[in-house]
Parts: sequence; C-alpha cells; structure tokens
Amino acid sequence: MPESAPASAVRWLVPLALVCISTLARAQGNYEIQVYGSQTVTPETLMVELHSNFTVEGQTATIDGVYPTNHQEHETVELTEGINDWSELGFYIFTSEQDGHGVQWVGDHIRPRVRVPDSWDWPVGVSLSTELGYQRAVYSPDTWTWEIRPIIDKAIGRWYLAVNPALERTWHGPDATEGVQFAPGVKISYDFTSVVSGGIEYYADYGPLGDFDSTHNQQQMVFAVTDLNVSPVWEINIGVGIGATAATDHLIVKCIFGRRFDWGRHSPVD
Amino acid sequence: MILRRDVLQLSGMAAVSAALPAAAQNLATPDYRLEIAPFTLELSPRHRLKTVAYNGQVPGPLLRFKEGRPITIEVTNHNERAEVVHWHGLFTPVDADGSIEEGTAPIAPNATARYTFMPRPSGFRWYHTHTMAMGDLTRGQYGGQHGFLMIEARDEPGRYDQEFFLALHDWGGYMLASDDGSMNPSYNFATINGKIIGSGEPLRVKQGQRVLLHVLNSSPSEAHWISFAGHELRVIALDGNPAPSTQAVPMLRLAPAERVCALVVMNNPGVWILGEVRKHVQAAGMGVIVEYANQRGPPRWQQPTDLVWNYEQFAAAAPIAEPTEAPINIPLAFESKFQGHGSMETWMINGKSYPNTGTDSLRQGQRYRLQFINKSMDDHPVHLHRHSFELRSLGAPLKGASNSASKSVKIVRGIIKDVLLVDSQTQAEVEFTADNPGASLFHCHQQNHMDFGFMMLFQYA
Repeated sequence: MPESAPASAVRWLVPLALVCISTLARAQGNYEIQVYGSQTVTPETLMVELHSNFTVEGQTATIDGVYPTNHQEHETVELTEGINDWSELGFYIFTSEQDGHGVQWVGDHIRPRVRVPDSWDWPVGVSLSTELGYQRAVYSPDTWTWEIRPIIDKAIGRWYLAVNPALERTWHGPDATEGVQFAPGVKISYDFTSVVSGGIEYYADYGPLGDFDSTHNQQQMVFAVTDLNVSPVWEINIGVGIGATAATDHLIVKCIFGRRFDWGRHSPVD
Repeated sequence: MILRRDVLQLSGMAAVSAALPAAAQNLATPDYRLEIAPFTLELSPRHRLKTVAYNGQVPGPLLRFKEGRPITIEVTNHNERAEVVHWHGLFTPVDADGSIEEGTAPIAPNATARYTFMPRPSGFRWYHTHTMAMGDLTRGQYGGQHGFLMIEARDEPGRYDQEFFLALHDWGGYMLASDDGSMNPSYNFATINGKIIGSGEPLRVKQGQRVLLHVLNSSPSEAHWISFAGHELRVIALDGNPAPSTQAVPMLRLAPAERVCALVVMNNPGVWILGEVRKHVQAAGMGVIVEYANQRGPPRWQQPTDLVWNYEQFAAAAPIAEPTEAPINIPLAFESKFQGHGSMETWMINGKSYPNTGTDSLRQGQRYRLQFINKSMDDHPVHLHRHSFELRSLGAPLKGASNSASKSVKIVRGIIKDVLLVDSQTQAEVEFTADNPGASLFHCHQQNHMDFGFMMLFQYA
C-alpha cells in the first residue's frame, strides 16, 4: 500500500488488507495448496511430501506486523504415517523464505484422518480429516487454528472429481470471534494417459458460515494443474494459480513432490 | 449335435446330443437335472447374500459320470437372463461345451436344454456359468453358479477312504471408489463351499484314514493358497489329470478355475483348520474345520510364514520322448490398455480385444505350441476350452522386465492341465494336439479380464 495514498483510502484499505491476510491465514493456502483425495496412506508407510509454493504476485505491504506475501517462497514438509487401513496421521512443518527475512519457521500442524473402509463399498471415496496447528503471528495474526475437512472423491473412467468442503475455526487471534469459516476446495482432472493427468483445482474461503464475506473480500483461487503418476511410490503435482478476487494473492506457482517409504516388514501371508 | 431349445420352450422338454439319435434323447431320462434360479446363500448365520445357483445350493450338486458312458444333463433356466453352462475341462462338442462364443446356444429365461455327450477325459472337472458380468460384480462367475464334476476312470484304484470336494470362492466384489481401485475387484467374503469358516459342517475324519481332497478355485478373479494345519498335502492331480510326480507340499496354490487333488493321511488327531494361508483372506472367511472322531476343542491353525508353490515340482522326473513332428508355434502376447484410473482396463491378445481378436485356424491332428507372452502387470489364469495342454516351459522373464532378476525359465514335461497361471512379465509355453474339431475358446479365466476383451477363438481349418 503506497504511503502517499490519501488518508481516506488508507482508512478503507487497511481493514480490507487485514481481512485478506486473515483469510489467507485461515486457509493456510500458501503453505499447503492441495485438494485431498479420500485414500489414506497404507499402514507401515511414511509419506514424505515437500510443498513448494512461490507467490509471484501477492500482498506487498507489511500490515499490522504481518509480512507481505509477495515473493514469499513457502516450503512445507508434510509427513504422513499410515495407522491402519482406514486412518493416518499427518504432521506439517511450515517455513517461509523471503528477501530481508531469510528462511523462517512459520508453524506446525497435526492432522489425523479417517476414511470409510473399502469394505463398506460406498459408491464414492469418503474421508474426514481434522487439522490443528500453530503459526507465528508475523505470518498470520491468527496463531492457533483448527480445521475439519470432509473429503469426497470419485474416479469415473478418465475423469476424477474431489470435493473438500472444509470448515475452519480460529482459536487464538483476531478471527477467534468470527466463528466457523467455509473454505472449500474442488478438483477435477482428466487422465490423458496412465501417467499424465491434467485439470483444475479451485480453492476458496467464503468467510463465516451464515454470513459470507462479500465476493470482493472472499478468497478464490483457480489452479491449472498436472499430476504425474510416474510410479506408485512417487506423487507429483504441479500447478499455476490465479487469484480471482482482490482478497487473494494474484499469482502463485505450486509444486508437490511426495515419496512413499515402506518401512514395515510386510509378510506375504498378511 | 442337435439343439432343440425352441421345441423345449413349447413343450418343456428339449434335447441336445452329440452321441445319440434324436428320438432316443427325447425319451431318455436325464442323468442329472440342473435348475438355475435365484438363491439366498447363507454364508454364516450373520451374513446372507442374494445370488444365482444350481438346484438351490452352492456349490451346485456333484455330478459323477463314468468314463465312456454317454450322459444327459437337463438344464432349466429360471433366471431372468439367458444362461449357458460350461463343462470345464471336458472334451465336449462345440454345441454342448457351454460357450456362446463357440456356438453353444444360450438357454433363454424359463427354457430348458438337454446336453448329451460322452464324458471325457476322466478326472476332477467342474461346471459353471459362462456368461459375462461386465461391471456387475454379482453376475457371471461372481455369483454362485459353479459345481463339481467327477468323471470316474474305468480303472480308478480307489486309493482313499474318504473324499471331500471343496470350492474356494470370493463374494461381495467391489471396486475401490478412488485412485486405481478400479483395476481389479476386492471382496468382502471368502468361503469354502459357500460357508464362512466355522459356519458350515466340519469335515469329519477318523484317525488313520486316507482322505482325498478335491479342491477347486471357483473364484472370479483371486488366486488362493490353502494349507491344512498339522497335516501334509500330497498332490496327486492337477486340473484333474494325474501329476507325473506326486509331491508332499505345505500348501496348495490355485488360480481361478484350477483344481488340485491331494491325499492327506489323517495322522494327527485333533480339531484343525484347513484354510487360506493369507491372514486377511482367512479372516474374510476362507477356511473349514476338520474334526477327528472323538476330538473336541477349539480348532488349531499353524500360520505359514511364506507362500510356496510352483508347477515344476510335479513335472516328470524321467525324460519323455519328443513328438516326431515339431509343433507349430503360436505366439500370444497379453497386454492391457489403460482406460482411466476410474475404469477397468481392456485386455488384448496380440494387440486386439475380443471380438476383434480374430480366429486362428488349426489343422486337425497337428500339434501346436502356444507361447504365452504376458507383457502385462497382472498374472493371468489362461484356459483353453475342449482341450488339455502339456506344460513345456514356465517363468521365462521378458526382456526388460523389472522382475527378471528373480526369474529363470523352467523346462517341464508331463504336466497336463487346462488352466495355467502365467506370471506377469514372463513367458510360458504349452503344447496341445488339435484333436477335437470345432471352435475352441481361449481366454483368461479372471472374469473381469475375460469380460473386457481377453478372449479369442481357435477354429479348425
């Protein structure tokens, strides 16, 4: 925000920026940008993912002590351990790198998840994750947040659809009084080959349930993505996202590299 | 052979015969009657499942024939869809074989058909529906239409005191809703003779008996490993044909449609489990309790630590003379075509899916060597109708195969079968003589592979 702006404009823009930043913080969008599928990690397997997200064009001003997102490089390590055939436990380490700030630890989250067992033979994949975590106030004014994320997905022929109608709650920070926020994610993709899939991912934060923010103040972002199924061991997802509203960072490039490590002593008779 | 299905629909009688005059067929009382009808199967007191079965039982009734004596079977279809019964492993004529692809007429709903043929060869065979299931995992071989068929040899020595027929089957198939779950079905239940372990009658034996087990894998898609806790299984026949070398083994492996006959000496009194070696499959129900006379207590299970099986251990120990005439090679390459992570793959033989696989012409009396080149990532239990074949080589790794380091080619002789499990990324070879004229279907016996293209016809020139 330019310092030479008229005072009236400043009075109007500062609260707006605060809304934007707090919205982004709720979504944790710039640290882990992913629409979840319903499958959980198999038991005795550790999934290690590196989420690399670079904000090409974002918020440029430091507002209320929160660093600007513009040109922030976020590296998030996600470790997920399969517990049994229908549950897993995930752990996140968020970091940020930016000119003038160096590499900084941002926060950590923990995310247990359960899913509908295959034997229930549901026509769609369904799982439910909950995520609890802390992030430093210089990166998010809301320091303690909680999320519950239903996950529904379905593969039909070459098409794949996943919906994550997530609900988020701030426990400590400016938004602690705002109640539950609705932050859905949707993915639709097409298998061009057995290896290459391409599609669209949509991320949004509409604001408090029952009292959505105006469209202008909502966070909405659309990514063009590709998934490369090079091996059952590897997970690769690359995308470019454009913010559709003023409250969203305008351009983000994301990349997820994941690898499964099978540490168990599997017996052929199990 | 004459098919008189139309007459049957009008009169309630029909005749199909390969060996008898038409008039005689119509008058003859059939040796067996099969009624195809919907049936509620009680897997256990807590689990019931709606399916289609023969004569209201799963497995269907045991059909016993004498080798060399013509038989007549009357089949009535009370199901809402057309049906056909395949006599698996028999050298039947085309129109009695039970394959619509070969030319056997389907049995319309509420129609009756008669099949008369000379049962051969002797040994443990079976019968089952040969209809398509496609995406419906309750139809075709996913259901309860299977039964045992025993052709007794004239010189059957009767080297046993008691025999049991055991059918391994998987039920409640489903595809995973996401990821790659659409590739092959998973199952909720696994049974022996339609019962979850502990739900059916135990196999009752006496100490000192020689018990002959006739084990059939009627599963639509799953191979099974079977062990008998506390006892040794001596394999004496594969797919109903005598094994050149009988072997005592810790467990049996049966791919879909395979049969194994094994002798067991009952020399370890107690109450035992005969069941699937893999824990999750036994937990799904695949097992049966074996109870010695005057023995009580909880059934005991001894968990093997590995899956052990190979065909070559049953091969002839002594050299067998090669046929004077060299066989004609027929290479058959198996591949799949990706249809999306949410669809079953389509299957191809030599680059084409049925019905576009064409018809290979055979010359009667000629010996052929089928070269199964399995380029796919799945194992395939391949079956040739109306003929048996001799295994000649197994497990040759394909060039560039990821598992080639652990594979080496095995040359075998003397093992006669009608189903062979061809391991992924390997080549296997079998030989047979074209001695039963008419169209002969060749296919993978995994129902979803067969449904989606893995079939072809051999035709005699």
